[in-house]
Amino acid sequence: MSLKRITKELNDLGRDPPTSCSAGPVGDDLYHWQASIMGPPDSPYAGGVFFLSIHFPTDYPFKPPKISFTTKIYHPNINANGNICLDILKDQWSPALTISKVLLSICSLLTDANPDDPLVPEIAHIYKTDRAKYEATAKEWTKKYAI
Amino acid sequence: MTRNIYMDDNDVYEFQAEDDDGDDDDDDDEFSIEFYNHKDNDSVIFQNDIFCEDELDQQVPLRHKGIMSKIVDCKYKEYGDEDKGILEDDLPIIEYSCLTAGNIYSLMLNRASKLQPVFNIPISDVIVLLQKYNWCEERMLEAYTDDAKAVLDSAGILIGENSELFSRLKTRDGFVCPICCESSETMKTFSLECGHEYCLTCYQHYISDKLNVGNIIKCMNCELALKNDDIDIIMGEGSSTKLMLSSIKGFIQKHSQYYKWCPFTDCKYVIHVKNTMSLTQLNRKYLSPYVICDNKHQFCFNCSLEVHAPCDCIVASFWVRKAQEESENLNWMLQNTKECPKCNVNIEKNGGCNHMTCRSCSYEFCWLCEGDWSTHKGSYYQCILYDEKKQNKKGDDEKKIKLHKYSYYYKLFNVHESSAQLDMKLGLTVEQKVKSLQDNLGISWIEGQFIPEAIEKIVNGRTVLKWSFAVAYYSDHSHNMYKILEQNQMELSKAVEELSELLEIKDPKQIMDRKLDFYNMSDYVEKRSNALVECGRELLIKGICIPRDS
Repeated sequence: MSLKRITKELNDLGRDPPTSCSAGPVGDDLYHWQASIMGPPDSPYAGGVFFLSIHFPTDYPFKPPKISFTTKIYHPNINANGNICLDILKDQWSPALTISKVLLSICSLLTDANPDDPLVPEIAHIYKTDRAKYEATAKEWTKKYAI
Repeated sequence: MTRNIYMDDNDVYEFQAEDDDGDDDDDDDEFSIEFYNHKDNDSVIFQNDIFCEDELDQQVPLRHKGIMSKIVDCKYKEYGDEDKGILEDDLPIIEYSCLTAGNIYSLMLNRASKLQPVFNIPISDVIVLLQKYNWCEERMLEAYTDDAKAVLDSAGILIGENSELFSRLKTRDGFVCPICCESSETMKTFSLECGHEYCLTCYQHYISDKLNVGNIIKCMNCELALKNDDIDIIMGEGSSTKLMLSSIKGFIQKHSQYYKWCPFTDCKYVIHVKNTMSLTQLNRKYLSPYVICDNKHQFCFNCSLEVHAPCDCIVASFWVRKAQEESENLNWMLQNTKECPKCNVNIEKNGGCNHMTCRSCSYEFCWLCEGDWSTHKGSYYQCILYDEKKQNKKGDDEKKIKLHKYSYYYKLFNVHESSAQLDMKLGLTVEQKVKSLQDNLGISWIEGQFIPEAIEKIVNGRTVLKWSFAVAYYSDHSHNMYKILEQNQMELSKAVEELSELLEIKDPKQIMDRKLDFYNMSDYVEKRSNALVECGRELLIKGICIPRDS
C-alpha cells in the first residue's frame, strides 16, 4: 500500500514541482529519497543548498517519514547529526501530509526558528540574546558547507 | 482474640474483636469494632475531581475504609511488654474505594449525561470536551463560560443543525483514496462534516494506533474531532471504550494525589482516596496510609511501596535507595548465600528456620549471626543484637565499619524478606494437607482457617521486623529508646521463629492437634508486631531515627 502512495507523491512532485525544493529516490529503492531545499532568501541561509535524506517507514503514510539534514546547518532546531525537531515529523504527523508539504514546513522553519523548543539549547540561547551573532554564524556556516 | 469477619452482603470489611482472651481485666481489646457509615462522614470535596461523592457511593460500595491501616499501624500506644492495647481514637481514617479504569469510565459517563443539559450539545460532544480537559469538569466549565466557541473549536467540535443527520459512511465507485491511492468499485469511505473523505481501511489503520494514546482523535486533514460513535462505526462496536480507558489512564496519572494504581504486578485496580486531608494528618503522626485493593494487595498510598511500618515513607525511601545503590551482585550474594563459618562453603537458605546445618561439614549454626547453634540454646535470639564494639575491633577504618553496619542490617532485612516468601510457600503446602484432612475427616472449612491466618500474621510480622531494621540502621544507637527497639525486635523474631517452626510441621494430624498453639502464637506475633511498630514510630517522633545518606 505504501508503495502506491509513494509513487503517487513522486509523480505529483514531477508534475507540479515546488519552487524552492526538490526530492526523489536514491537509486532503485523507492523507500529512500534524497531531497534538497534552497535557503529562503529572507534568512541567513540564503544562497545555500541543503541536502536531506528521507526514509519512508513501511507503514507510511500512517507513520511519519524520517527526514534529516545531510548538509551541516547552524539552527536552533537542527542538531549536529542533522536531526530536525519539527512537530509534524513526530506527534503531529497526519497521513494527509505529503513530502512536499513537509519540505515546505522545513523551509519555513529555516526562516522562523522555534527557539522556545530547541534541539540545540546553545544556539537557541544565542538566537534569543544576540540575534546578530546568530545570523553571522548561520551565514558563515552556509557559506562554508552549503555553497 | 481478634478475628476478621468478612461480610459479603454489603461489601464492607468489618473487623470485630471480642474480649475472649480469658483474662478478667478491662483491657481495651475492642479496638477495631467499626460499623462504618460513610454517609455520616464529612466528605472532602476537591477541585480536581469530576464526580461527586454521592454518585460514587451509589456506584461502588466503599470498602475497607482504611481500617486495616488502623489495625496494622496504630492499635497500640504502648510498646512495652504488657498485653494492653490502647487505641488512639483521634487518628484520621483514610476513606478510599477500589476501582478499575472501567468503573471510573462509567462514572464519567454518568457525569457527562448530567452535564449535557448545561452545554446543550450532544452527549458525545460532552465526552470529547471532557477528554480535552482531562476529565476535569471544573476547568472545562470555566473555560466554556469564558468563551464557548473557542472551547468547542479547540476540541474540534462542530455545532450544526444537521450534524446528527450527516451520513458518514458511504460506498463509492471510482473513488481514489488520497491516503493509500487505492481505488475499487465498491470502496467504503468515511468522512466527517468537513468532507475530508478517506477509505475505511485507511481510517482503521489511522485510528488503531491512536486508541492506546487516549487523546482526541481528529480528522486526518483538519481539527474536527471523531466522536465515540464515529470510532465505533469505523472500528466496530465497543472500540471507543478502549480509547476512553486509555484517556482515563492519563487522568489517573495526572491526579496521582487522589488516584494510585496498585503497584503489584498485573493488578488492574486503582485506589481512590477521597479525603486526602487524612494523608497529611497521618503523615504528621509518622504513620503511613496503607490501602488494600480488591486483590488483597496492601501498599502505602504515599510511596507505593509495600507496608513498611515502622518506617515512615522517608526512612523507607532512604533505605530502598541505599539498597539500590549497592551492586546487584552483592545484593544477590547477600540475599541468597552465606559462607559456612567453618568450611567456607557457600550456602543458600531454602527453608524458613534460621537453624542451619552445613551439608559439607555438618556444622550447625545460626543463619543470622553465623555463630554456633549450641550457644543459642538458652537465649535463642540474642543474635539480632548488633554489637558495635565487636565490629569496632574488627575494622579500624570508619568506612569499613559503616559498610559493615549497613550490610549487617541489610542481611537481616533480606533474611526476613526471603523467609517471608518461604513461609508463604510452606504455608500453601500445609494448607493443602489440611484440605485433604478436611476431605477425609470432615473438618469444616472454617476450622481449617487458622493456617492461612497464621501465615498472614507471620508474613506481616516478618515485614514489620524487616523494616524495623531500616529504622534501627538510621537510629542513634546510644539512646535508650534504641535498646527498647532492639528488645522489641528480639521478642518479635522469637515469636516469628516459633510460629515458623509450627508451620514446618508436616504431619496434618499433628497440625490439627496443635491448633490452639497456632492460634496463640499467631495472636502473639500480631501483638508483638504492633508493639514493634509503635516502638519504631516513637523513635521517629522523638527524632532518634534520622535517615541520612552516607
